[in-house]
Amino acid sequence: MVYRAHILISGDAACIAKGARDVEAALWEAVQELNLKDEVQILEVSSLGHSDQGPEIVIYPDGTDYVNLTPEDAKFIIEEHLLKGRPVERLTYREPPSLPLPPPSEKEVRVVLENVGKIDPENIEDYIAMDGYMALGKVLGEMTPEEVIEELKISGLRGRGGAGFPTWLKWTLARNAPGDMKYVICNGDEGDPGAFMNRSVLEGDPHSVIEGMAIAAYAIGASQGYFYVRAEYPIAIQTLRAAIKQARDYGLLGEHIFGADFSFDLEVRMGAGAFVCGEETALMQSIEGARGMPRTRPPYPATAGLWGNPTNINNVETYANVPKIIHKGGSWFASMGTDKSKGTKTFAIAGKVERTGLIEVPLGMTIREIVYDVGGGVLGGKKFKAVQTGGPMGGCIPEQYLDLPVDYEHLKEVGSMMGSGGFVVMDEDTCMVDIARFFMEFTQDESCGKCVPCRVGTRRMLEILNRICAGEGRPGDIETLEELAVYIRDGSLCGLGQGAPNPVLSTLQYFRDEYEAHIYDKTCPAKVCKGLIEYKINPEACIGCTRCARNCPVNAIEGKPKQTHVIDADICIRCGVCKQVCPVDAVYVE
Amino acid sequence: MSEIHLTINGKPVVAQSGQTILEAAKQADIDIPVLCHHPALANWGACRMCLVEVKGMRGLQTSCTCPATEGMEVETETEKVVAVRKFVLELLFSERNHYCMYCQMSGDCELQDLAYRYGLDHWTYPRPFEKMEVDASRKYFIMDPNRCILCSRCIRACSEIAANHTLGLRDRGARTMVVADLDVPFGESTCVECGTCLQVCPTGALIDAKSAYGGREKDVIHTQTTCMQCSVGCDLDVVTRYQRLLRVDGVWESEPSGGLLCVDGRFKPLYEKRQRVTGPLVRKDGKLVAAGWNEALGIVAEKLQSGSCQGLAYCATTDEALTAFARLFAKVDGAAGRIEPQVAPLGFGQVAKVQDVLDADVIIVTGAQPLEYQRVIGYFIHRAADQGAQVAVITDDENGLSARAAMTLTSAEAGKAVETAAGAGKVVVVYGTEIKPEVIAALKPLGDEAYILALDPARNAQGATAAGLQPQEPSDVDVLYFLLGEQSEDAALLAKVNGAFKIVQAAYHSPLVDQADVVLPTPIWVERTGHVTNLDGSAKPLHAALLMPENVRDEAEALAALADMIG
Repeated sequence: MVYRAHILISGDAACIAKGARDVEAALWEAVQELNLKDEVQILEVSSLGHSDQGPEIVIYPDGTDYVNLTPEDAKFIIEEHLLKGRPVERLTYREPPSLPLPPPSEKEVRVVLENVGKIDPENIEDYIAMDGYMALGKVLGEMTPEEVIEELKISGLRGRGGAGFPTWLKWTLARNAPGDMKYVICNGDEGDPGAFMNRSVLEGDPHSVIEGMAIAAYAIGASQGYFYVRAEYPIAIQTLRAAIKQARDYGLLGEHIFGADFSFDLEVRMGAGAFVCGEETALMQSIEGARGMPRTRPPYPATAGLWGNPTNINNVETYANVPKIIHKGGSWFASMGTDKSKGTKTFAIAGKVERTGLIEVPLGMTIREIVYDVGGGVLGGKKFKAVQTGGPMGGCIPEQYLDLPVDYEHLKEVGSMMGSGGFVVMDEDTCMVDIARFFMEFTQDESCGKCVPCRVGTRRMLEILNRICAGEGRPGDIETLEELAVYIRDGSLCGLGQGAPNPVLSTLQYFRDEYEAHIYDKTCPAKVCKGLIEYKINPEACIGCTRCARNCPVNAIEGKPKQTHVIDADICIRCGVCKQVCPVDAVYVE
Repeated sequence: MSEIHLTINGKPVVAQSGQTILEAAKQADIDIPVLCHHPALANWGACRMCLVEVKGMRGLQTSCTCPATEGMEVETETEKVVAVRKFVLELLFSERNHYCMYCQMSGDCELQDLAYRYGLDHWTYPRPFEKMEVDASRKYFIMDPNRCILCSRCIRACSEIAANHTLGLRDRGARTMVVADLDVPFGESTCVECGTCLQVCPTGALIDAKSAYGGREKDVIHTQTTCMQCSVGCDLDVVTRYQRLLRVDGVWESEPSGGLLCVDGRFKPLYEKRQRVTGPLVRKDGKLVAAGWNEALGIVAEKLQSGSCQGLAYCATTDEALTAFARLFAKVDGAAGRIEPQVAPLGFGQVAKVQDVLDADVIIVTGAQPLEYQRVIGYFIHRAADQGAQVAVITDDENGLSARAAMTLTSAEAGKAVETAAGAGKVVVVYGTEIKPEVIAALKPLGDEAYILALDPARNAQGATAAGLQPQEPSDVDVLYFLLGEQSEDAALLAKVNGAFKIVQAAYHSPLVDQADVVLPTPIWVERTGHVTNLDGSAKPLHAALLMPENVRDEAEALAALADMIG
């Protein structure tokens, strides 16, 4: 039989999860109904290329690509496109911007991200064309390890994983540590919620990190390196593996690289889903095959790291900076940034900001510049309330510090930290107690359970925060939180526990009144905490359209058509659906 | 090692480089509290009890892990340190069920002691703990996670000392639990019941089923003696109260096992079910009836002089008894020998100590099943393998060690083990009675550099050898004298026993005892004094932890009395 048209429907997992099967059924039904079954063939195929926007179909012979379909759309398309011959414009696929990264805003300076989105990460020649492996060649041909370290010292590069330890010093310690076998490790266990700086580099420019590690290996005298990448980054792992293979094929990894007396090879190890494995000693335990739990320091990894051998461990971004520093000189790098914090830093801007995503700016740029100039301002023109930096162990910085330069020292001064580059903007609708509770929930869940203050202490703090947010706060809770926070900070084994109380401490420092409002006035000023808010319907505004009542998942809304509706607060679960669906904004929160 | 000087609480302390602050403090009699630390285990640094302040170092340091360095100034009881310790204890008491009055370890609990030391007189934090199921699937001990503080001592003991790796942690954060294998009941796990975890548990989470509520530390008596369950001869710490045997512990830092015991040494003797011979018995009118020592010994002395006689001993008694036994039969011109087979020397190599297994680079096991019969040696081989030793098992049958050995070879392939050993450093050959002549020949090139550890199946084989007792079969004599001690005869021996007049010296009733014409009682391991010689030739002392029953006499003494009677 010869068909007039073919409809291909994507049957990949993502599309099916989003309802492709229902769409397919609707297509069949419509074809039957409109008597087109002898003219139109429907075929389920593999991915049609835009599974993120599934369900997706393509209609041939014209090749029209429809995405984000519902069963209703399917029927409509059959009618319009195949019966009436009019393609449905509003449902057709539109090309997104072709670069994975939008072009940098004027204030951005891209060093680490320079090649990301510009080169093919799976093709080493692209990287080489961008002066890739020039630095390694220079190091192996012209420089002693001491000179490499000296160049890093001039650059002022500090650890981009968060603590900001001077990289040259770390390398010197590993170099000077006695031992025949030494290792370099790249920490790619990027686990902060919403952070994807390292992933972008690993997926977009893997060779810059490989080159940085090779240079580090030369500087400290290592011959073996490990990439530790979280298993949640399958594409990064795949890209890295391909890149390592290509580097080996090109003689840039392996024996006698560039004919020099230097051999170095790399292996990729995957994490198993524990946030704490981003902590360097836990990470090494994990590479060794043990349960990922931090161990006490000293001894530091520089003297007794992987399998007890001297080990240098840096973050992805730190290594990615190294080839640039060697290539362009330490003083070029040092010309960016502030007195003590040199160079640039990538941030993942998220939250209530117009342009979320990945940015790279010189250190020392103010929060205001980042939020308003780079990020395009607070979403919907709302009022800026705070920015949370440093990930789950960071802190919230309030409006009064909008002009604070973002660098290691200043962030620490105001009770937060650089971390690996999380930058969550919060507006006036954000409840700071709820934010503290959110981060505490994260850290207590991710505590490895080894040391008592972190394992038990964070749980006790979370219980109190949960109570406060549920409207069951008691006098004395703030003081107990403060006491717990200080002891957990002082008593915990690793950075996770020591930093876990930070979100609470910093919000208590700047937003204590919100805690007090929750506890003493039983109100949530930002109208977020479910235990403290009530959804109500303004009788003057309600038009009795019944939409809220129909959408309420627990039938908490009563009212007849054309009459004022009322929410029963005892039944209401504060999901907020009624507010979302009300066409006249009659639902409000009290 | 060089000497270093530091001050702790203002007191000058001399320590060795490489020592931790905790070790340095201990030497100077400065008490730093610990919970997760245990001297027999690797340092852990988790409980935060041993935190100290060190001048010039950022934050508080765990003294159990922080190396002592020259010129260090340490403070162990500052306000800050004490506050954090108290905080940690308060948290621990809020985590799980620590209602001391219901716990059998109350009074002997390290957590409770510290709570008293730091004045915890009330609960500071709420205690929302959930009830967790108690695991009583093991016969000899119980695990109660409700009392666990997750110090992981048991896990480290299981991995580092027993090298069995049964225990581990499940989940993380507040949901963390100690589990056996992949979270199966203890009784279904790979646990070998060595009981080391019990001995290191600081609270009542892992408890011995037998001694629970049997008496607190202040009530009990500790007696150090030697295990007589196999030829390894581990040191035992026997815990008794009011002449009741409560528990057996290992002795840290002792030779040969360093505190490690096995199920046979630690638990099984406490569950002895055989009926004890409590006094001399003589056969009258076809029945065994109780008799006095003088009467019984008189009959024996007379019989031994009246016809041909042979003495056969299980190597299950003391050096002294075996020597007296040999001497007695020399006096009456009777043959005397041992019942168990003997391990023949290999003819090359040097005699190994048990501890040599631990630092071996290559271990060759053949003709022996140490995991079955000399378990501690088996665990030591596992431990050495964990440390990187190559284990080669040469066997034509199954051997439990194969699972973790680098290679399992047939007798014909024995040469490969020698190839592996070539230039590999320290080589230890562990062998037993089943060793094959061709394997001996194949191993010969190892030469005298190799360390040889013979696993004699008999408990006090070396004592018997020293007394000149060689393996013998029962022969056609008028009088057969069996020195059984605690060993009940096996069926093979029983079948060979003829119609001779039978004298049996034994601790427990058995078919042979019941056939005997005269029965003399012996003490059991826990009642013995004297010595045994273990498989590496060390003479190990025995100390009685319990009194013998009234009518029981030590074998050596009884045998000496017999010799005297014979004149």
